[in-house]
Formats: sequence, structure tokens, C-alpha cells
Amino acid sequence: MDLLFVLLINGLATGMLIFLLAAGLTLIFGLMDVLNFAHGGLFIWGAYSGVWMYHVTNSFTVGIAAAIVTGLVIGLVTEKVIIRPVYGNHIQQILITLGFMLVLQELIKVVFGPSQKAVAPPAFLEGSFMVGDIVLIKYRLFIILIGLVVFFVFAYIFKQTRIGLIVRAGVMNKEMVQSLGINIKLVFMVVFMVGAALAALSGILHAPYSGVIYAEMGLEFSILAFIVVIIGGMGSFKGSLVAALLVGCMQAFMAYYVPSLSLATNMLLMVIVLVFRPQGLFPVKG
Amino acid sequence: MNSLLKLNQVEAYINQYHILHNISFDVREGEVNVLLGRNGAGKTTTLRTIMGLNSVSKGTITYEGENIANEKPHIIANKGIGLVPEDQGIFADLTVGENMSVAMKQENAESTKRLEWVLELFPDLKKFWRKPGGQLSGGQKQMLAIARAYVNENELLLIDEPSKGLAPVVVEKVTESIQQMKDQTTILLVEQNFLMASQIGDRFFIIDNGETVHHGEMEALKTDKAMMKTYLGIS
Amino acid sequence: MLRHMNKGTVIYLLMFLLLTLLPLVVTGRSMQFILIQIFVFGIFAMSYDLLLGYTGIISFGHVMFFGIGAYSTAIMFDRFEPTVGYLVLAVIVGVVLAGIVSFIAGILTLRLKSHYYAMLTLALAGLFLVAAEKWTSFTGGNDGFTFGLPDILRDSNMIYLLCLISLALLFFGLRRLTASPFGKVLMAIRENEQRVESLGYHVLHYKVVASVVSGVVAAYAGVLYIISLRFVDTSVFATDFTIDVLLMTIIGGVGTLIGPLIGAGLVEFAHHWLSGLADVHWIFERWIILYGTVYILVVIFFPLGIVGTIRAKLTRHPLRKRNDLKGVGS
Repeated sequence: MDLLFVLLINGLATGMLIFLLAAGLTLIFGLMDVLNFAHGGLFIWGAYSGVWMYHVTNSFTVGIAAAIVTGLVIGLVTEKVIIRPVYGNHIQQILITLGFMLVLQELIKVVFGPSQKAVAPPAFLEGSFMVGDIVLIKYRLFIILIGLVVFFVFAYIFKQTRIGLIVRAGVMNKEMVQSLGINIKLVFMVVFMVGAALAALSGILHAPYSGVIYAEMGLEFSILAFIVVIIGGMGSFKGSLVAALLVGCMQAFMAYYVPSLSLATNMLLMVIVLVFRPQGLFPVKG
Repeated sequence: MNSLLKLNQVEAYINQYHILHNISFDVREGEVNVLLGRNGAGKTTTLRTIMGLNSVSKGTITYEGENIANEKPHIIANKGIGLVPEDQGIFADLTVGENMSVAMKQENAESTKRLEWVLELFPDLKKFWRKPGGQLSGGQKQMLAIARAYVNENELLLIDEPSKGLAPVVVEKVTESIQQMKDQTTILLVEQNFLMASQIGDRFFIIDNGETVHHGEMEALKTDKAMMKTYLGIS
Repeated sequence: MLRHMNKGTVIYLLMFLLLTLLPLVVTGRSMQFILIQIFVFGIFAMSYDLLLGYTGIISFGHVMFFGIGAYSTAIMFDRFEPTVGYLVLAVIVGVVLAGIVSFIAGILTLRLKSHYYAMLTLALAGLFLVAAEKWTSFTGGNDGFTFGLPDILRDSNMIYLLCLISLALLFFGLRRLTASPFGKVLMAIRENEQRVESLGYHVLHYKVVASVVSGVVAAYAGVLYIISLRFVDTSVFATDFTIDVLLMTIIGGVGTLIGPLIGAGLVEFAHHWLSGLADVHWIFERWIILYGTVYILVVIFFPLGIVGTIRAKLTRHPLRKRNDLKGVGS
């Protein structure tokens, strides 16, 4: 029983990190019809720049802020330089974002060095609580908390603010949004930057969780995010949360019981969704 | 009377297809102008081209003395042109209220007044304020689309086939509401339903094969059986 | 017989004949090895071109077919005997496995938007990499293993010839295929999928067949690759190879078959020289940055690649301009 609970917490924490990565991916896809294969690059840049600031200033909060700023800036550059020339052409988009992913990944090695870096959680998040016999690791609870906060803040924005409504409207009908006098290009840019910032946030939060960061983890982790986007329904924010938690838990339980099959089970989940419900669990009306 | 919008020898393509060959007409302020013509003649493309959703390859589109050809749609919209597209363009997952808030550029005394006025005109929208747009009936969707275009201070509304797929009673209701809006805004209407068009239209333009081939007063067209037969297939 | 062939075919044939004579002139082992690599990756890149260039499908996991071919050969030689018989058996096993995997991936995602196939193949290739790492009793894990070759392939000239002949046969075979009515339908799908569907073709069937043929050819390239190395490890499933082959195809010119061969030559030589330059300046150790940058620039400014651009210049056919990469998608 205790074990199940610990695994569940692990799964939820992993799931929240995947959610942060997948949320940006799915929003960018839904609104702009762009599948950003460079999204994992934003994840590692968030992790490295955040950890660097964290180690320099000794403040994890500053590290998180640095990661978010990095995400916003790289997001802006990516949208303007990489994505904008190829709007409307899927094949070029897919090719070019993958190329940019490689550049981002290798640049990490140039800027921060090619070796792995060890990262520990900050003092105030180290250790654990005991609830009865159950050990609750503080940092994992922290990740779950941040994930929930992000989800509810965005849910609020999408429901209650005009910019949120515009983004949702844009997912459904871009032309109509433009015809109502809204500069959709500007909306694209903002959404891309926010999506990038979420990926970077996921990266910095992931760093002390896994204890070590390396350049290739971007691509590895983004595979999980792709699986989540397919399962949740491309373009669905809510879907990405549900699917991410599902995949996270699956990952945690399988990693404990049958470690060699953890990626395989998630792939299997994706295949099942593709066969029976290719539009995903929470399809977005077009 | 002043002409608010003037198209001069406009040509446009969709992909490699030459859809508009020579469209010229002018819309006078305060009138309801109707674009008539057979299916596929280029009426919808004309509206989309005015709105900037389709690019102009030749010719000019002058709005309030300014050439707006090939401007971006949002810039054209902000100059005071509103579009009610053929498929209504309702944001299906958004409620009626949310559809309206996306449209409303600012909330002030003037916009509140217009909102109240339009909700009085379409009480159904008030009734289903919290219902998702996708669940409305066809007539209600049409009303929402018109209301959404009207709520900003637009001088010109482009309305594409408002009667399409609606029951006759509902068509009457929509006709009536467009007549009421006439006092406050200029309207360019695409309409296949000749009865409706003749009831509310002041002037007409006939488009055939991407060309404006005729124009005149609506009153005159009603009695011109030959022209109706040639271009509209009505006998 | 020559009279019945067109000029292009004759030129290509002569080029291949010249290449068979090259070992008489080029005796340096490292140069011969580079040429073998070019042939192997040329085959791999042609298989990719059939997908990307002719049908408009993007795979980010094409390396898995390559790896399947590589491992089936290596394991066959390691477990049984390094004989020609087992080589043939390895080719059959690799090709059938690759065919099954590409068939499944195709059936699952090719009816959906192009993103799905790209994502699914990326994830599947990740799965194969993990499997190769974890299933150490079979694959030797990350350390890999060496194995013997059939006697006839002990001479590196024979490997050279095997790769060259394979390349020539596959080149003419694929050229034939793409010029056939089947190939025309593939290209039509690339240009406008809905139109082809509305003409009554079952688009999914064509796409799946293209994906299977491509997977099978890639697996064969993997077989040749591993013979030339006499060593296998998990790197045969690494995404780097997919990227390499993408780059070769795009630089050379998508939808041309000969373009990817030229691309393979350029990229392999670039590899060779750039890794040599690593001693000169550390930036060359990070040559992937250069790679990625070249690649981005090519996609934006040079989407037809070398051969495509030259052909467009020569023919000036108005449709050529919006051909290939530009014409797909939306």
C-alpha cells in the first residue's frame, strides 16, 4: 500500500513535468498548426540556464526565473526566425524544427560544456515528510504543486480573460479571429513564447528531480511529451494534463515493476489511442 | 450619396485558379447593397477579398478613400468592416457570451449600448448566453454571427448568405433584423434568396463568372424578368 | 541494347562502371572505406527519398529499419556461422522484420496528418534503441560485439563491389519504380492528397506500400553497413543516422534519387574532414551545429536541394518551382 502511494506520487510528479512540456506543444499545435520538434531544446535550455543561475546565486527561485526568461527569449527567436518563414507548410516545419533542435542541443555543449551536471534540490525542498508510514519527498510534492498551479492559472486565463478566449477561438477558427480585428500573428508569438517558457520551467524543475542534466535529455523527454499530445488530443490543454498524468504514472509503476518495458507501455498506450481514437481522448473541435 | 467602399477592376486567385476577373462596384453609405449571381460566380470570394482573407492580384479596393487591397484582415477589420461568413464562423466550444467577448474590442458605454441593442434584437442570444455556440440552432448561430459583427462600431457589414439553410420563419426574423440595422450601418449582402434580397436591398450588383455584369436599383430588377432569368436563373 | 536506353541511363551506367574500376586506382584503405560508407548511406538516403521526396512522408525514425538490418546480420553471424547462406538468411530476416514494422507504423498513422508518422517513428526508433540497450544477452548492449565475415567478404575489395553493385541495382530499381504508374501516383499524393483520393485511388494503400519499400531498402543498407564495420553496437539505432540521412536527401535534392547519392557523398566527406579538423579547433568537435545550421538554411532557402535546383534551372518548367518540399503540406 505504502509502495503504491510512493509510486503514485512519483508518477504524478513525472506526469506534471511532462504536462508542462506537452502543454506548450499542444497549444502551439492547436493554434498555429505547427508541431515544434525543437520543443525539447527549450526544455534543456531551461534546465541548463536555470541550474547555472541557481548555482551562481544559490537561489532556486532565481534559477526558475532565469529558466522562464530563457524560455521566453528563445521562444521569441524561434518563432520569428525559424517558424515564421514556413507557416502553412507542414513538411518544412517538421524538418526545420528538428534541425533547430539539434542546434539547440549542441549549443548547450558549447556554452555549458559537454559533460553531465549534477544538481541537488535547494535546502528548503530537501528531505521528506512522514505521514504515518508513508515517506513523502518534499521536492516531488513541490513539482506536483507547481504543475497544479500552472494548470489552474491557465484554466482561469482560458476561461476568464479575453486573451485566453482569443487563443481558444484561434484554435477553432483562425480566419474568423482575424476578421474580428485581432492580429493573429501577435497571438501566435505570445502563445509560442509562453509555450517555450513552460518547457523551460519543466526543464529546470526536472533538473533536481533527476539529479543530473545532460544535453540529450531534451529529445528523450520530448518523446514522452509527443506521446502525451497524441493521447490527450492535439490542441487540447485539458487533454495534455490528463494524458501526462496517465503517462507519468504508467512510467513510474512500470519503472518499478518491469523497468525495461516502461517506454514500451507508453508507446502501447499511444498505439491503442491511435487505433481506436486517433483524434485523442479530448479532441478539439475544428 | 458618398461611396463608402469602391472596388475597381479587382482580380483574385485561389491557389492557381482565377476566380475574380473583373469586379467593380461601389457601396454607398447607409444603403443595403446586394451581390447577386449564380453559385460559384465569385460572390463569397468577393467578400473574402474585401476582408483581406484572399489576396488581390490586380485592381484597387478603396474604403473611406484609402486603398485597402492586400491589407491584413485584422487591419481591415479595425477600419470598421465586419464580416458574417457563409459558415457563420461561430467558435463552437465558446459560449455565446464568450463569442461576444472575443469580438468586443473594448468595453465602454458605447459598446455596452450596442450590445444591449443587439441583444434586444435577438433575445435568444440573451437566453442562451451561457450555452456553447456549437449547440445553437442554425438561426441562432446566424444571429450570433451578425451580433458579433455588429457589436463593434463597424460602418460596413459584409454578410454572406444569411438565409442559407434556415427555415422560412427564421429567414423572416433575420430579414427583419437586418432591416433594423440599416439605420446604423451600411450593409453589403450576398444573398441567393431573391425574396429576402428584394425586401431589404436598395441596390444590386450581379456577378457572373467573376465579373460584375450589371448593377442598378433593386426596384428596377424586380420587374426585369429577362435579367433575372439570364443571370439568376429565376423565372 | 544500348540503343533502347535513354541518355540518362547510359551515363549512370558508365558512372557505376567507372566506380567498379576505382579500387585499381584508389588503394588507400581509409579512402576505400569512405567510398563504401557513401554507397551504404546512398542506399539508405534513396530509401528515405522514396518517402520524403516522392510521397511527402516524413519519418524521424528511419534509422530503426537500418538498425534492424544491422542487428539481424550481426546476430546471425555471431550466433550461427559467418557464411553466405546465413548472410542471405540475415537479409531475409532483416527485410521481413523491417517490412512488418514499417507496415504497422504506416497503417497506424499514414491516414492522419504528417505529424503523426513523424512522431510515431521517432518514438518507435527510441523504443528500438532502448530495447537494444536493455536486451544485452542478444545485442551486447552499449558495448556491442564484433563478429566474423563469410570468407568471400574477407577481402575489402569484395565488400566494395558488393556495396556498389547493390547501390546500382537499387538505384535502377527505384528509378524504375518511381517512373512507373505507381510512382506517378505517389508523386500525385505528395502534390495533392485529396485530389488523388477523389480520383478514386486508395491513398493509404499507396502510402503504406511506399513506407514498406522504403523500410525494406533501409534495412538492406543496414546489412551492408554492418558488414563494412564487422562490429555492431546500439549506435545503429541512434537518431544521428536519421538526421544524417535527412540531410543527405535534402541537400542533394528531394524526389530525385540521384540527389541523395550526391548528398551522401558530400555529407560523408564532410564528416571525414570535419572530424579531422577537431584537432585544429574545438568547435569542429561540435560539427552537428554546423550541420543543423546548414540544414535549416537549406530548408528555408534551398528547398529543392542541389539536383532539384539544377534541374529547375535547366528545364524552367513553371510547375517545378512549387514542386517537392514547397508543394507539400498545408
